[in-house]
Amino acid sequence: MASLFKDLAKISAYRDRRFPGTQEEFEDALLKATTVYVGNMSFYTTEEQVYELFSRAGEIKKIVMGLDKNCKTPCGFCFVMFYSRDDTEDSVKYISGTILDDRPIRVDFDWGFQEGRQWGRGRSGGQVRDEYRTDYDPGRGGYGKLVQKELEAQRQLVDYGTGSLGAYPPVMPPPHYGRHGGNQGYGGSYRHGRDYHRKRHREDDHHRSDYPKRSYDRESRRTSDHESRPEKNPRFRESGDSDEEDDDDRKRRT
Amino acid sequence: MSSWKSLLLRLGEKCPEYAGNADFKDQIEACYSAVRRELEHSGDDIFPFLLQCAEQLPHKIPLYGTLVGLLNLENEEFVAKLVENAQINLQDALETGKCNKIRILMRFLTVLMCSKVIQPSALVVIFECLLSSSATTVDEEKGIPSWQARADFYITCILSCLPWGGAELVEQVPEEIERVMVGVEAYLSIRKRVSDAGFSVFEDIEETNNAVNEKDFLEDLWSRVQDLSSREWKLDSVPRPHLSFEAQLVAGKSHDLAPVSCPEQPGPSGVLSGIAFGRQKHEAELKYPQRIRRLNIFPSNKTEDIQPIDRFVVEEYLLDVLLFLNGCRKECTSYMVGLPVPFRYEYLMAETIFSQLLLLPQPPFKPTYYTLVIIDLCKALPGAFPAVVAGAVRALFDKIADLDMECRTRLILWFSHHLSNFQFIWPWEEWAHVLDLPKWAPQRVFVQEVLEREVRLSYWDKIKQSIENTPALEELLPPRGGPQFKYSEEDGTDPTERALSVELKDMVKGRKSAREMISWVEENVFPAHGFDITLRVVVQTLLDIGSKSFTHLITVLERYGQVIAKICTDDDQQVKLISEVSSYWQNSAQMTAISIDRMMSYRLISNLAIVRWVFSSSNLDRFHVSDSPWEILRNAVSKTYNRISDLRKEISSLERSVVLAEEAASRARDQLDSAESKLSIMDGEPVLGENPVRIKRLKSYAEKAKEEEVSVRESLEAKEALLARAVDEIKVLILSLYKGFLTALAEPLNDAFRDGTLRPSGQADEMNIDLEDSSVMDLDKDDGGRPKKSYSHPNGSREINGYNLDGKQQWCLSTLGYLKAFTRQYASEIWQNIEKLDAEVLTEDAHPLFRKAIYCGLRRPLDE
Repeated sequence: MASLFKDLAKISAYRDRRFPGTQEEFEDALLKATTVYVGNMSFYTTEEQVYELFSRAGEIKKIVMGLDKNCKTPCGFCFVMFYSRDDTEDSVKYISGTILDDRPIRVDFDWGFQEGRQWGRGRSGGQVRDEYRTDYDPGRGGYGKLVQKELEAQRQLVDYGTGSLGAYPPVMPPPHYGRHGGNQGYGGSYRHGRDYHRKRHREDDHHRSDYPKRSYDRESRRTSDHESRPEKNPRFRESGDSDEEDDDDRKRRT
Repeated sequence: MSSWKSLLLRLGEKCPEYAGNADFKDQIEACYSAVRRELEHSGDDIFPFLLQCAEQLPHKIPLYGTLVGLLNLENEEFVAKLVENAQINLQDALETGKCNKIRILMRFLTVLMCSKVIQPSALVVIFECLLSSSATTVDEEKGIPSWQARADFYITCILSCLPWGGAELVEQVPEEIERVMVGVEAYLSIRKRVSDAGFSVFEDIEETNNAVNEKDFLEDLWSRVQDLSSREWKLDSVPRPHLSFEAQLVAGKSHDLAPVSCPEQPGPSGVLSGIAFGRQKHEAELKYPQRIRRLNIFPSNKTEDIQPIDRFVVEEYLLDVLLFLNGCRKECTSYMVGLPVPFRYEYLMAETIFSQLLLLPQPPFKPTYYTLVIIDLCKALPGAFPAVVAGAVRALFDKIADLDMECRTRLILWFSHHLSNFQFIWPWEEWAHVLDLPKWAPQRVFVQEVLEREVRLSYWDKIKQSIENTPALEELLPPRGGPQFKYSEEDGTDPTERALSVELKDMVKGRKSAREMISWVEENVFPAHGFDITLRVVVQTLLDIGSKSFTHLITVLERYGQVIAKICTDDDQQVKLISEVSSYWQNSAQMTAISIDRMMSYRLISNLAIVRWVFSSSNLDRFHVSDSPWEILRNAVSKTYNRISDLRKEISSLERSVVLAEEAASRARDQLDSAESKLSIMDGEPVLGENPVRIKRLKSYAEKAKEEEVSVRESLEAKEALLARAVDEIKVLILSLYKGFLTALAEPLNDAFRDGTLRPSGQADEMNIDLEDSSVMDLDKDDGGRPKKSYSHPNGSREINGYNLDGKQQWCLSTLGYLKAFTRQYASEIWQNIEKLDAEVLTEDAHPLFRKAIYCGLRRPLDE
């Protein structure tokens, strides 16, 4: 209703580089969308949690979890499809920036889910933002993938002789989501700050959109990935059974 | 944004645009000089923007009004245009019934009057116009009293202007304003007092008939205005910046204001009887709803000491910020906390927001919006607001037994969501006492349902951890476990069924088609094992395959739903199907609800089957101890209703398209006709018709336009047919829903409330019923349908924390509460079918409390 503060032309600050049309078509798609992109989720958040939260905006048609393309486990984003546009708008207005599983999630209009968009676009399988992160984020698999690899290399050099990286104490304190703490300011400045990061992350997402599909031995790669994954996700109902993963994979494609 | 724009937008705020100077006079001067410079070349941009600011930030209207007053000294023409526009907008808003616009434009005109931009008498003319329309409406002979809601609204608008300009009006046109006040008083004496019945957040359980003596909204506002008048129209909450410029403003030229006219009566005059009156009243109340119902939840020693009229004004400010800044989080929060008033108002703010969250029949926005506002205010005022919110929660919790059922549900959803944003921190030990209450006690059910929703938003261990200070409350946590698959363990399950289940799973893994699975069922399972086993094996197994997530469930239903559809073709079988689903998901209310909901989407389950299952014996005995069956019922009804309302929306947009297509077609036809009838010279000879190429082109246009019109018309007809079916469907659903309530309530009501009032019969003596081990509501067939009763429960009559209802009494109250909530929510559809309901449900022998719940939900007078 209020048009004084909303710049209607700017429905989204970034643009999906994989969108197959012009900027106008992209904006038009966002204006009609009944799909939202949900970001900054914990890897542990389940579809049912998303359902409970987003059904407060309206009747949900479908949820597509973003999955690590190697391990087929959630990697911190999802798409939620609604039946009505009004409900879609309300989910962007009222849920974006609120907390789900101790994390402020962001909710943006999305031009529409297409097969393939559920996979992380990062080199290691997850989201690109988790490639280069240097902080320790227990909700998103610990350190960023690059840092993890570095630590892995160090471990082999020094040979601490103990298990996986999960045993390492975080060097940096885990994020503190105190009631009034730290970067938990409310409203605009908070949001503007996040927009900046958001933009960067999304662009990162697309940085390697033309990453070639190599044929490699999936099994060996997956095994190594499992090893370097700091913790398994105890709340994802499907962990590790390769049979089921294929099953899941197949389902997503149908 | 150009600087005049940001200066206008930020006028009255402590902000960088005004270098942090918050003095109104300085700001207005700064803004005035900036805008004045731009009038020459940006005048056409300035006045719509200025009007927009005034309309959308109405708490700053006095500042904008003063600014206009100053501009009037500089450029009369500009201001004349602005006034004219405001008048046109007001006229348009009156005709289209845009309540907020009417209210705010009238305030703006009042303020313009204060700044000498318009004549006080012009404003009085508008007041008198509204007044006379209102008086006519409620006149039993000339008017149409069912539309009192509109009349009341107009009077509210008049009275609402007085805090902004009462002093000026009384000073400048004392006689005219006195006439208006007398008129309002006369109006108040002929209108009917509006009963809050059905819409009040707290149910008057004692039936002390307070309602009869209590002022309604308009009478209350009238008394506040009288109080204001007795204070010589002085109040704290309305800034009066024009006073600082009075010496200049008097020199301004007051502009004429064209009179406005109120829309015609919405129907033939006269008093209608019964149903027709009720329907019209319902329609009018939907169009002209009451904005707020005060909650008064805080003890008076806690709330701010604010004059009655100031309280009204601050409520208006808050409601307008909530209305106009919806979707703008940052601005909404900063305006909420920064109103231009010289007193604190945190309690009033909390009460106002909660009054919206709990507003019946529904708030202007989804409850989630208010959740967000409360979260943001807690962050913006960390020292003050969280404690006030906690106080509101405590106050509401104390009165939860009197709280309307719908409001209880909203409160549960809000509170769980709110806590999920604040690390689930809450002093649960305060509420440990609910464990001493019987399990149907509303406070206990509230805590249990909040925990249930918290678990859904988070996960079991986390919520368990959040109550570790009060470990006893763990008893109220939902079960931890996942699905209950019948064939997961070797022992205890029937080996044959287990083998079938394994075979079925293999078929799914082997990617067999639904058709193959159907023939397997029809050839190998059904003939040998019968319906029950077939259903159990198929449903358990498919649900298990789809149990990993919502998406897995959808996938399996999309692929193999047909198998289930083939097995369960009628309502009886579908009821069994639902039972199987609820048995598989017995540990997860959420997954039960989602699965049933999805099955309804795929039309594997009809809404009627859901109603029947909800009112079946296995559910009846948890009506008062759990929200779960109600959640499922709510989903089913709202899904059916959503189909109808989507169709209605599509139809109304198609109707518009038809009109456009018709116009286009007739335009094309006209062009062709005129071209054809024109004489033109061809080969030196005059012939009828323009050049043939053009004619040909026009012909094809005309044909295309006609085709387009026909095709839009056809899709409209198709949608109308769908709507007709959907309307029939909801009619049947409503009837079956009310019959379900009727049958379920008849016996228990007669037992628990024999005399037809809410005074329990035989309280605390022979009628004490123990639900825990006898499932009273199980209408056992052996028992001739009479509930089994077990007498002499040792704790049954004990009064704990003031709560002394036995299971059956609470069962009745809760069920009646849900009945009222359903009725209220779907009142529009029910009014459409009221004759049927009267004939088949609200018969002579319907229990008075049953009748009362429905009448209340419809706001239909009981004495009609």
